Amino acid sequence: MVKKMNETIVLLEHISKSFPGVKALDNVHFELRSGEVMALLGENGAGKSTLMKILSGVYTRDEGNMQIFGKECGNLTPKQAQEMGVAIIHQELNMCRHLSIAENIFLGREKRKGIVLSDQEMENEAKAVLDELKIDLDPRQVVGDLPVSKQQMVEIAKALSFKAKILIMDEPTSALTAKEIDDLFRIIKDLKAKGCGIVYISHRLEELQHIVDRVTIMRDGQYITDMNFKDATMDEIIAYMVGREIKEKFPHVECEKGKKVFEVKNLNAGRLVRDVNFSLYEGEIVGFAGLMGAGRTETTRAIFGIDPKDSGEIILDGKQVVIHKPEDAIQAGIVLAPEDRKKDGLCTKLSIRHNIALPNLDLICNKLGVIRNKKEEEMCQQAVENLKIKTPDVEVLAGNLSGGNQQKVVVGKWLARNSRVVIFDEPTRGIDVAAKVEIYHLMNDLKKRGIAVMFVSSEMPEVMGIADRIIVMCDGRITGELGAKGVTQNEILARATQFEKKIAAKG
Amino acid sequence: MNQTKQNPLKKLLSIRGMGGALTAFVGLIIIYIVFGIINPTVYSGQNIMNLLRSMSKYLLIGIGQSYVLITGNIDLSIGSMAGMSAMISATMMANGVHPVAAIAVSMASCLVIGVMNGIMVGKFKLPPFIATLGTMFVARGVAYMVNGNRNTEAISSGIGKEAADGFQNFFYYGKTFGVYNTFWIALVLFAVFFFLLSKTRTGRHIYAIGSNVEAAKLSGVNVVATTTKTYLVSAFCACVVGLILCGQANMGNMEAGNMYEMYGVAAGVIGGVSPLGGTGLLLGTLAGSAVWQTLENGLNMIGAQVGIQRLIIGIIVVCAVMLDVVVRSGMFKKKK
Ligand SMILES: Nc1ncnc2c1ncn2[C@@H]1O[C@H](COP(=O)(O)OP(=O)(O)OP(=O)(O)O)[C@@H](O)[C@H]1O
Ligand SMILES: [Mg+2]
Repeated sequence: MVKKMNETIVLLEHISKSFPGVKALDNVHFELRSGEVMALLGENGAGKSTLMKILSGVYTRDEGNMQIFGKECGNLTPKQAQEMGVAIIHQELNMCRHLSIAENIFLGREKRKGIVLSDQEMENEAKAVLDELKIDLDPRQVVGDLPVSKQQMVEIAKALSFKAKILIMDEPTSALTAKEIDDLFRIIKDLKAKGCGIVYISHRLEELQHIVDRVTIMRDGQYITDMNFKDATMDEIIAYMVGREIKEKFPHVECEKGKKVFEVKNLNAGRLVRDVNFSLYEGEIVGFAGLMGAGRTETTRAIFGIDPKDSGEIILDGKQVVIHKPEDAIQAGIVLAPEDRKKDGLCTKLSIRHNIALPNLDLICNKLGVIRNKKEEEMCQQAVENLKIKTPDVEVLAGNLSGGNQQKVVVGKWLARNSRVVIFDEPTRGIDVAAKVEIYHLMNDLKKRGIAVMFVSSEMPEVMGIADRIIVMCDGRITGELGAKGVTQNEILARATQFEKKIAAKG
Repeated sequence: MNQTKQNPLKKLLSIRGMGGALTAFVGLIIIYIVFGIINPTVYSGQNIMNLLRSMSKYLLIGIGQSYVLITGNIDLSIGSMAGMSAMISATMMANGVHPVAAIAVSMASCLVIGVMNGIMVGKFKLPPFIATLGTMFVARGVAYMVNGNRNTEAISSGIGKEAADGFQNFFYYGKTFGVYNTFWIALVLFAVFFFLLSKTRTGRHIYAIGSNVEAAKLSGVNVVATTTKTYLVSAFCACVVGLILCGQANMGNMEAGNMYEMYGVAAGVIGGVSPLGGTGLLLGTLAGSAVWQTLENGLNMIGAQVGIQRLIIGIIVVCAVMLDVVVRSGMFKKKK
């Protein structure tokens, strides 16, 4: 077969799509060529996922033309799109957690002999795809038992196994470890050389330079421009995305370091929280850096009373507090904006308003426990304004918001009350540059008000840019503490990979 | 303890849902031994035969209900469909219609209800609890109506003694190789449905839907068709149970099959089928229905009243689910 490069393989013209109350896409233009990686960029809610869902047959468009490999297409089903050579990795994980890796990869196109499933054959093929991605997993393993980053890799393996010519990746790296990202990029380069066209959506703009050839930029459901990646600076691209210039990507404010607010002493909770000690002071943001799986999330969960503690003390404003369950923590003035928004952070079937009100009902209700509507309304409006949540009104279901806006609701519901300690676990995952800056400003506000801020993040630049002090964790232990000023990535990395020597006896 | 001994067990347990099924089997053996010690007639050949026959109905109901439960749905209309099947077939036979024709009409009626359930739940996304609550009343209504709100005459009064005996023997009283036919019927259907669920594409899709409908849909699984198939299986099983009830009674009883849908849930759940969908094996359902019947049988043999029987079964169902939940959350903790 002759590889043809640089030939238009997808052409979307005048695409429009509305959801109740929102015009998600308005007359959008999009073109993808063979052998290129096209970055589709835009703020949260710009319509990137919606556009790609139309291309992959998940949604049907209201208006517009769609050509795939030069063929005019009507409304497609996901299966038809697959058959035309379009594969998509969705922004949210779409795995059947009870099924095995191989079963998930071949779901909907199982191999059979007669009517009997050929499990062996599917397992072998799945293994081959996993090997190609350098994922060391047994295809018979149940997906629900895997950590999120591995599930994401399975999702990627599934898309690759289609041998699609058009591959859409909607934020594939937001849950991956650095090594997995490298493997993914290697695969992307291979596919590109084979003449595949790849659409790449990401809010991690730093990673674009490694793979991207061209960019298409959208804003508020509209097509803004497309260009060669090399022809624009990052600042220009950001300006196109948000419609204005962003001066400071990591706004840092200086505050006087005050008294000690919060202290964790000898905290132990399972394998990933071992003898953790640290303190938070007024007027500072403490960043928690480390690799995925270093035990940072587990530490926050143990502090907040979600997972049981084996031992340890928690001291707030000089007094020891006993936390057995999240309620105790909230009452004491410690709140946690968790990492996995779909699972822990949001009730996706409730409205934005109900989500924001949920942890704050003690403030909203009167003495008899009756909800005061006006108070609730005020609180929600305030949160929507403060965080610039993009929604027609607060009655919209949280599950219908774009990924980044969902994240803002998670953060918003905790900021609506006055607390002493606010723990953020990966607060900027999946949100756009402008929104990130807004979240940083919010954290800075808390810092200025003397509230202790614990900021867990796997993205090194933002920890280095925002935090005043950085605590590094590896394998459940704190392996280092650094001042944020003048620190280098390598210094952090060295501590993040400081695994215990295997020979050191356990005790 | 021993490496070579542990591995096959580990392998067996790695099959999803096997843990629950095995627990039920172990429970079954314990229950059986305990009752036998109290009253040795529990071990008698005749009692075993009776036991196998009486558990067959629950096994069939359990199979149908398990199919639906694994997709994360429920079918409340099973008992009413069994009653409808008993009444339709009995009424026709009592009026001289050939048994084969009577069976065909009963089956067709049940499958119609099954399709209705499937379309309401799969296509129109009605909550399965509500949709099948509706068809539960509809099917029971039909059961009442077919013979003008009365139980039927003996079926022998219509098709004659010989044909009636044939029907009754086929479904209930006759034996093949020394075992009641009822059990053979259940066993054959068990084998068929076991195969379909564990070895075919439709079976795989049933698990996928129960695990994550959205993911299944995006992978090109036909959710409406697959959901409908599960409701057809439960309708089919309900119909067969109705015919068994008809054969047993030699007539149609308007209340036949009352509450059976819940017995089906219990049989499945005792055997480790998750009512939340995604996991469960028919082997578990087999064990679950056996546990139940052994309990009922054993309690009968030691002279316990119906009240205490119900009470104990209720406790067993809850404990089975609790055990499942505890084991699972314990497993998660170790992983972390
Ligand atoms: N199923 C839905 N129902 C209602 N509104 C929706 C639905 N899906 C998307 N929207 C709305 O359409 C708009 C575009 O959403 P989309 O998910 O395409 O944004 P996005 O560019 O992918 O954002 P992000 O970067 O946050 O993922 C948003 O305003 C969103 O709230
Ligand atoms: Mg998106």
